Amino acid sequence: MRQVAIVGCGMTKFGRSDVSLLELMCESSLGALRHADLGERWVDAVYVANMGAARLNKQTAIASALVDRLSLFPAMAESVENGPASGASAFKNGFLAVASGMANVVLVTGAEKMRAVNNLEATDFVASLTHPEAEYIYGVTLPSLAGMFTRLCMERFGVTAEHLAMVAIKNQENALKNPFAHIQQRITMEGILHAPEAVVNNPFVADPLRLYDCCPVSDGAASLVLCALDLAREFCPTPIRVAGIGQATDTHAVHERPDPTQLTAVHLAAEKAFSMSGLSPKDIDVVELHDAFTILEIAESEAAGFFPRGEGHVALEEGTTSLTGALPINPSGGLKGRGHPVGATGVAQLVELTWQLRGEADARQVKDAKSGFACNFGGFGNNVIATVLVREDS
Amino acid sequence: MMDTSVYGSRCNACGKVSYPAHCVCPECGGGAFEPVEISGEGTVLTYTDVYALPLDYAQRYLRLGMVELDLGVRATGQLLDENPEVGKRVRVAIGVVRQSDEKRIYGLQFVPV
Amino acid sequence: MSTGNELEALLRPPATEMPPYPPKVITLASGEQMVVRQIEREEVSTLLEAIAPLLWVERDFYDIVAARLFAELLAFKRYRVVDEYCLVGLIDGVLAGIVNGREARPEVGMSYHTLTLRRGLRIGAHLFAAKMEYHIEVLGEKEVLIVAESPIGFRRWMIEYPLEKKSEVQHELGGVPSWVLTRETYLAAKPRLVAGRRPIPPELLETARKILLPEEETLRVQILGERGRAT
Repeated sequence: MRQVAIVGCGMTKFGRSDVSLLELMCESSLGALRHADLGERWVDAVYVANMGAARLNKQTAIASALVDRLSLFPAMAESVENGPASGASAFKNGFLAVASGMANVVLVTGAEKMRAVNNLEATDFVASLTHPEAEYIYGVTLPSLAGMFTRLCMERFGVTAEHLAMVAIKNQENALKNPFAHIQQRITMEGILHAPEAVVNNPFVADPLRLYDCCPVSDGAASLVLCALDLAREFCPTPIRVAGIGQATDTHAVHERPDPTQLTAVHLAAEKAFSMSGLSPKDIDVVELHDAFTILEIAESEAAGFFPRGEGHVALEEGTTSLTGALPINPSGGLKGRGHPVGATGVAQLVELTWQLRGEADARQVKDAKSGFACNFGGFGNNVIATVLVREDS
Repeated sequence: MMDTSVYGSRCNACGKVSYPAHCVCPECGGGAFEPVEISGEGTVLTYTDVYALPLDYAQRYLRLGMVELDLGVRATGQLLDENPEVGKRVRVAIGVVRQSDEKRIYGLQFVPV
Repeated sequence: MSTGNELEALLRPPATEMPPYPPKVITLASGEQMVVRQIEREEVSTLLEAIAPLLWVERDFYDIVAARLFAELLAFKRYRVVDEYCLVGLIDGVLAGIVNGREARPEVGMSYHTLTLRRGLRIGAHLFAAKMEYHIEVLGEKEVLIVAESPIGFRRWMIEYPLEKKSEVQHELGGVPSWVLTRETYLAAKPRLVAGRRPIPPELLETARKILLPEEETLRVQILGERGRAT
């Protein structure tokens, strides 16, 4: 397999958009292609990550549609659907196309236009990934699975409501430094937990998870341009090498997991990604985790190997994972602050890491970031993809 | 009368009981199963009150629980208990758990023992 | 009395004393302090200035809410409506939201509108609850008739309080079937839904003495969802 690098990236501002899904995809794709500055080189293949176009936007075969809009014919193209892990899945497929030699230059675009429907419909749409007979029929939603998981973590490891709030506060603070982030609002511990008014400001969504423990519903698109590393060295000043990718699955029904507090798929995916890269968690400078719910940032940071089991909340408390800490997690604002257009998220995490490793992250730049890790969490942890990226110094 | 019971499966080869059912036994790879009715008593593993409900539900919140059943599997269902507690003993009942369009959908409910 | 004054008296409803809403302060999720207080007639012009740009914003039913609220407040200012009140939410004196309604008949309130100019901090929820507080606890009403223009927003209140159907009663807003919040339901829901501290510290009340209009840039970002300047 050849070495593969990211040579360009771009994204739209996440949030509430008035333009169509295709227009979002074009905007971020053009941004990434401009950033890559390919010159005479052609895009051989396009991979699109998306979960809901057929249901929310009544559109199918959107990868072919994107090729058309960008006049990239006759490039190869397909859409990839893997629930909330669609982004990293499309990226993984793009990587394989280049690594195998089947393509030299690949465009990966993840996008979602969720706000075409109201919030209740959006919740139901996301709930369609749960087990139809053993979960969905009971009114199980993704927040409810996260709520039950959170209760267990609180009982077993001493995670508190304050710890969850710390994740939300940190990520919304980081998002203020990210012009592409959906949420541009500072929140305080007083306002969301301690004041008597907090019961209205921050009501339960799926107890013990509250409003500010859940990521927003967002529209948006993010794109990457992948290229064979040898080729990339000809034109790209700072290629970001894809050092490792790992993926693992777990049971569909969450109650069937052997240990219901263990994110096994995260652990296995991370293990594979690290093994492939030759690196270990202590070598990583900056991390993007999938905090669809604040508890997941804590749990994934442990399962991926950055902190011992049951101690992720301690590292959070100590400030280790803040923007200026020893291991910044979610400098972009994470899903909580940056937003979560489902198909775009996995790609957006890698866009942030690319900017960080290229020194282009402006006000939220992590100093001397040379290697990064991302975790894209599909379903409620039954399909997870982990990635390790490393800066190639020219 | 419509059968509203909920079933898992027992592998003919190794005896492992699974819920929900799989086509291939996760323990031994076997492909032949007997249905096992999900019933009896169990212990609450975890629960939550869900507030942001899909359009099929008109109530303010819904109490869901995951229960460790004595018969050897776990199950997810609606927890009909005013005072839920992790570790509390409950038993399986069957009731209407969702109303989709005109259809009434039956499923697992857990009630205090 | 001149002919002009006689005619005016014909058209002007009988003057009644609306009991004052005791101001309160609410800590928002951002840590900011929002003062909730009643307005005087002289302050209506300022509110109209804030509402006018929203008359053309179709998104989220802002246009119809703005148009109706504009008319209601103007009627209040010009003495052409009976027993109307208006409460505002102010953050450092800047207008964040407006709620209004009136007493339709003894013990029955008629809720009119809720308009928020800052999104994402549950200001609408706080102000709606404040006006229910006014109807039930200050005016002493037994029930409040409620409808809304926005279906999803309304559904949340319908389920949260909860509201009861009273479809035999037509609401003043377009004559549509009403929903009602009863005194009992309000009191049961109060710990969950009604927040704020009294008495309000005098310094804080002082900051809320003059209503300041939000900056146009802020309105465009908040209401129209336009991209803010990149920091």
